[in-house]
Amino acid sequence: MKLRTNSYAIVTAIVACSLLVAGLMAWRSRHGALCMFAYCVGAVGVIWLGWFWLKLARAITSIDRALQAELPELDARSSMLDSGFPQGGGPRRVSSIRYRESVINRIESYSKLVEQFRNQIKDLQIQVKLSQRQKANTEAIIYSLCDAVIVVDESDRLLMANQAAGKLFHFDFKSSQHKPIDELIAGDKSKFVDFLRQTKYSQVEATRHEIEFTQDESSKIFDCIISCVYDDRQQVCGAVAVLHDITREKQIQQAKTDFVSHVSHELKTPLASIMACSEMLADGEADDEETKKQFYSVIQNQAKRLSRLIEDILNISRIESGLIKIEKQPVSLTIIIEEQLQMIKSYAQEKGIEIIAQTPIVYDQVYADKDMISQVIINLLSNAVKYTRCGGSVKIDTAVNETTGTAQVTVTDTGVGIPKNEIGHIFDKFYRVSANNNQAKGTGLGLNLVKQIIEKVHHGRVFVISEPGVGSTFGFELPLAATEAVEAV
Amino acid sequence: MAEKKVLVVDDEIHIVHVVAIKLRNNGYEVISADNGIQAFELACEEMPDVIVTDFQMPGMTGLQLVEKLRQCEQTRDIPVILLTARNFVISQQQQKELQISQCLSKPFSPKELLANIEDILYRKVVNQ
Repeated sequence: MKLRTNSYAIVTAIVACSLLVAGLMAWRSRHGALCMFAYCVGAVGVIWLGWFWLKLARAITSIDRALQAELPELDARSSMLDSGFPQGGGPRRVSSIRYRESVINRIESYSKLVEQFRNQIKDLQIQVKLSQRQKANTEAIIYSLCDAVIVVDESDRLLMANQAAGKLFHFDFKSSQHKPIDELIAGDKSKFVDFLRQTKYSQVEATRHEIEFTQDESSKIFDCIISCVYDDRQQVCGAVAVLHDITREKQIQQAKTDFVSHVSHELKTPLASIMACSEMLADGEADDEETKKQFYSVIQNQAKRLSRLIEDILNISRIESGLIKIEKQPVSLTIIIEEQLQMIKSYAQEKGIEIIAQTPIVYDQVYADKDMISQVIINLLSNAVKYTRCGGSVKIDTAVNETTGTAQVTVTDTGVGIPKNEIGHIFDKFYRVSANNNQAKGTGLGLNLVKQIIEKVHHGRVFVISEPGVGSTFGFELPLAATEAVEAV
Repeated sequence: MAEKKVLVVDDEIHIVHVVAIKLRNNGYEVISADNGIQAFELACEEMPDVIVTDFQMPGMTGLQLVEKLRQCEQTRDIPVILLTARNFVISQQQQKELQISQCLSKPFSPKELLANIEDILYRKVVNQ
């Protein structure tokens, strides 16, 4: 840098001198051109010189600034090395190598401590993240539960609630957190708040209640378990409520109770006739032979009725539980219908009812249990004759639909018909059309058995069309044997 | 002495037949109906001394028949025996409110029914 600066200075000086000499000579020799040249060179020289000094000045200035910036640190280091650490009595000047080494060691140990703290902070941060993730996972689990979950604190303010709880009690958790629970849950659902408070104030571990609410315009029953939350001092600091929807279970329970009640009633009724007649016969209350015959006949018929009822109940139970033995094979519907018509003929003749059978169809084989289909057909024919007045008619038809691959059997009567509001229940267990009870007796299980056999066992379809005072058409559809065989393959 | 009149109401014809024979054999006049509506009309016309009715009947149940009888001035004091094949169908409270003299479960004994009828009629005479 120094050599270059000097070279610049020498060259600049020579140029300047040349300029001066040339100018003097030009002036003396009166040569204008030479004069011009001299001046041009001079001008260039001056400009160049100026630029050079400017650059030099800037370089010097920047170096000076850098030195100025490092000076305090250098001073500090220098003063530290010179004076040493203050130790209970002010700074003392130590210049030994050993002290400097100890300082350096202390710096290193402090650096290690700082490093340790940094590592601990990192560990804590990782633990915090893990805890947050666990909390998020726990909350996700609770939020995804189908059961409603509500957590309140010691002041009955909402701490946490999942989506199911929000839907049940119609509040949004995000905007409802820390609000008093009785502000959020009111009306017919306020009994839940009462149970919550009772449990907390009673300080028992947990209580269980069945609560009925209206949700989506239907009544629902919930199994509500409320558990107290305890702090370190075993004081109640909140409560957790879990509400599980048991409406379906209650309905099933009620259906079972109703079924038992129905069965009990249906069994007791013929039994009552049998016992009454038996007692009368045993006590000699039947004076004449005619009365005795009547009583014997009642006992016999009611015993058969009882037997049929028990058989129907058992069959329905077996079908519903899947325990029934099924023997499916290709069977002709026409042949089964013929057999059952023979059985119903005498009953129909007694009532003066005409039975009309269709001309048999050649290709009407279905893949079915013969005994079960026979039961279906006899039930339909028996009902048709039972509920048709004297002089009426019962017609049985078979049809095959090759497009859908099904065979259809219909039994049409000119009987009493079924009111529109009762058609939907006609296949229910123990259901009997009340208006037709005087027309004929029955267990109320026959059509339910038909439905179970056709739909559950054979995957077919039952249907009914009826008009009060005109008559009814009951029918069923089954897949053709060919269709079943193709599906089996 | 005039025969006591008993109205027997049941949709099971065999029950009506057996009970009728039993009561007639023991000096009672028996009228019968197979549904609640017919039974109420007969009760108003014939004014029986006792009504024996089944609980489960089409159209109008035995309980509804009793309620209707209690609302009518003519028939409100007629004693009623309720026959039922269902357990716990009527509470003690209901029995008292509707003034049902006795509930008998099916299957029942015709002798037991007769004893109940005689007991009710005896108490009716004593209270008069």
